[in-house]
Amino acid sequence: MKFDLMLTGVGGEGVLTTGVIIARAANIEGYYVRGVQLHGLAQRGGTIPTFVRFGDEKEISSPGIMQANSDLILSFEPLEAVRATFYARKEKTTFIINNHPYIPIYANLDKIPYPDLKKILKKVKPFAKDIHVFDTNNLAKKEFSDVIFGNTILVGIAVGKGLLPLKEESVREAIKITVPRGVEKNLKAFDLGLKIGKSS
Amino acid sequence: MPTEILEKLGKKVVLLGNEAIARGAIEAGVGMVACYPGTPSSEVPIALSSVAKKVGFYFEYSSNEKVAFETATGAAWAGVRSLTAMKHYGLNVASDSVLPIAYLGVKAGLVIMVSDDPQGWSSIQSEQDSRYFAKMGKIPMIEPTNPQECLDYTKLAFDISEEFELPIFLRTTTKTSHSIGTVKLGKIRKLKNKGFFKKDPARFNTIKRPNLQIFHRKLIKKIENIEKKYSNKLNKVFPGNGEIGIITSGVSFEYVKEALQMLGFDLPIAKIGLTFPLSDKFISDFIKDKKKIIVVEELEPILEDFVKIISKDVNPKLIVHGKDVFSVVGEYNLETIIPGLEKILNRKIGIDFDKHKKNVDEVLKDLPPRKPVFCPGCPHRSTFYAVEKVFGKNTVYSGDIGCYALGIFEPFKMQDFIVSMGSSLGLGHGISKVSDQDVVAFIGDSTFFHAGMAGLVNLTFNNGKSPLVIVMDNSITAMTGHQPNPGSGITGMGEKVNPVKIEDVAKSLGAEVRVANSFNQEQLIQSLNELKKMKGPRVLVSKGECRLLTKRLMHKRGVKLPVFEITDQNRFKKNVDNVFDKFSCPAIIKENEKGKTIYKIDPNMCWGCSVCMQISPEGSIKPKRDDK
Repeated sequence: MKFDLMLTGVGGEGVLTTGVIIARAANIEGYYVRGVQLHGLAQRGGTIPTFVRFGDEKEISSPGIMQANSDLILSFEPLEAVRATFYARKEKTTFIINNHPYIPIYANLDKIPYPDLKKILKKVKPFAKDIHVFDTNNLAKKEFSDVIFGNTILVGIAVGKGLLPLKEESVREAIKITVPRGVEKNLKAFDLGLKIGKSS
Repeated sequence: MPTEILEKLGKKVVLLGNEAIARGAIEAGVGMVACYPGTPSSEVPIALSSVAKKVGFYFEYSSNEKVAFETATGAAWAGVRSLTAMKHYGLNVASDSVLPIAYLGVKAGLVIMVSDDPQGWSSIQSEQDSRYFAKMGKIPMIEPTNPQECLDYTKLAFDISEEFELPIFLRTTTKTSHSIGTVKLGKIRKLKNKGFFKKDPARFNTIKRPNLQIFHRKLIKKIENIEKKYSNKLNKVFPGNGEIGIITSGVSFEYVKEALQMLGFDLPIAKIGLTFPLSDKFISDFIKDKKKIIVVEELEPILEDFVKIISKDVNPKLIVHGKDVFSVVGEYNLETIIPGLEKILNRKIGIDFDKHKKNVDEVLKDLPPRKPVFCPGCPHRSTFYAVEKVFGKNTVYSGDIGCYALGIFEPFKMQDFIVSMGSSLGLGHGISKVSDQDVVAFIGDSTFFHAGMAGLVNLTFNNGKSPLVIVMDNSITAMTGHQPNPGSGITGMGEKVNPVKIEDVAKSLGAEVRVANSFNQEQLIQSLNELKKMKGPRVLVSKGECRLLTKRLMHKRGVKLPVFEITDQNRFKKNVDNVFDKFSCPAIIKENEKGKTIYKIDPNMCWGCSVCMQISPEGSIKPKRDDK
């Protein structure tokens, strides 16, 4: 068994922490884990693709996923889903997108407008087996008055839909050891995601 | 995020390569750690500093890598196992002391962790291959491939170092350091943090002749013995079928293994863990019955050249592939390795890489880019903005290493070149000596302490007109993750100390000094105007705490930073070019509302520095009152 998950978003959104939660959950289930975050100079506002791979140790050694080879792409920001297409292909990859744009500072200066969701989905479609779109940031703001919990909701949705092959219990355990300060809200956010995932 | 590096023996956890190195050092009973932060090695000291008190070893952030290495060496001479970690350029700085200490040797284990950064994810200057340092200095070097080996090899490094009384390099590249993997934890050895330096002229007197030659011969002998004893422990053959063999090391091994699986090949692989000394015998045994050897290594063809030399004697007909198909430039991953292997092995994996890339490029071509920008509330943005007001676009802006390097991008474009730690002063000095241009040198607080002071004293000594030096003092080493420096008032172990004031240092080095608050445009501009009129060594210390740090400290105390809002669109628009285009804070956004352009400050992004209010028409931006 080998599962190739890509998480992507914008620096400062908590993509890295979410990646660690998933990696630790996979480890709790006894999978061999490998992964890497591709980050550069920009601390905030830059693209941060993160890979988490888990499964049988014999099948996984590279920390990064090969192009066109992700099983699942969790995109915490719509535009970044387009940039993730390098790691996706129609026969294999499912996208779950958080529809909450983070407009690049120079989008206006460069006169390249931020594309609307319709255009984004049109671009992603040729690389996707399936695309699911939610605005988990808004949900998080409503439920927990903090957009940061949108990430955990998105993970809940992925698990609830059966698209991220991890047990609910191991994700809960991983949340407890990774974000002890915000554990209650994160567990609630995860449960909310599960509910949405199971019912949609 | 709580670390798992102190979990119990036998537990399997997921660690970053660098965290695994930290755990390895703890398992080896390290008693002293001294580092200057440099990514991709930064997480080694970050992990170790967070547990130093609990575990009981001494930890410090030193003022630069050379000092850090010397500190660790002193402790190792006194019998305490020591570690220093640095990035490749850090090794350039430390090398002045590293090379001689190979002759003198050490008593307790001394590990120099060094991380190269192919692709330059976290490095501005070059794609340096530090393996050459091992050869140049005759210092053993070992290379792990994944987090588990990062842990195991760190422990082994201490043992080898202690056994042969030599410092040893533990070398990684970015993806060995920055990738995560499952690691099984081992036993933590009881540490020793107290030692005693025994005088030993027979060992330390290199002036007495012919000691130097005696020490040199002894070093060569040690290296030979390390090869004999450790080649088969650190170099491993993974058996396979066929007359083609692969020789690889570091993270490239991880790519090769998976790439071969995808291509459906089961070729024998020789994994080199002992990079220096490379073993004649091990390589000879592996290549003697092969028709072809494929060498896969990031950066320079060091293994490849060695194989080519050895093969002349043991297998003259051997065909050696390496940099003919794999690049010297950039870092490796599956998609760079596979096409090379496809070419040599004449088999395809079924995904057309070129076509896929073409399709992706097509959908990417009209997307707005995310360029590196200063954080909202960054003191550097405010300083650059003021400097441009006073010095304009034609001044020569000598750049340096730190967050402010982002000033090289628009809208400021105020770093004309960036070379190495502290180089802004020397380079600026050289230009100002031979030209009549105005020169401004930007340098950060940590970089000033690291390598800027010598440049400043040279200005006093040699340059009557001198560039204006602007120290952008945000009180922390921000870019590598907020490590304290001599100006921070706190040590790597969290002890409070008197902060060294840059203005005091600059004054005593002979400079005319002004201090301004980075978040106060009026103060900045006034100080800059005063200094502009003067000649000779001049320093502006622009003081403003890294806003990310302020935000975190405030959050801990339960205090919210103020948030600003645009209250008068029409007034704001009168100076919009300045505030939106030139100041370019990411919190200020432009939106289209019913066909009309309106500007907003995103309350989730605004970190309350107030500079936008200072530079906007009066009354157009105000603190948000209802923010609780």
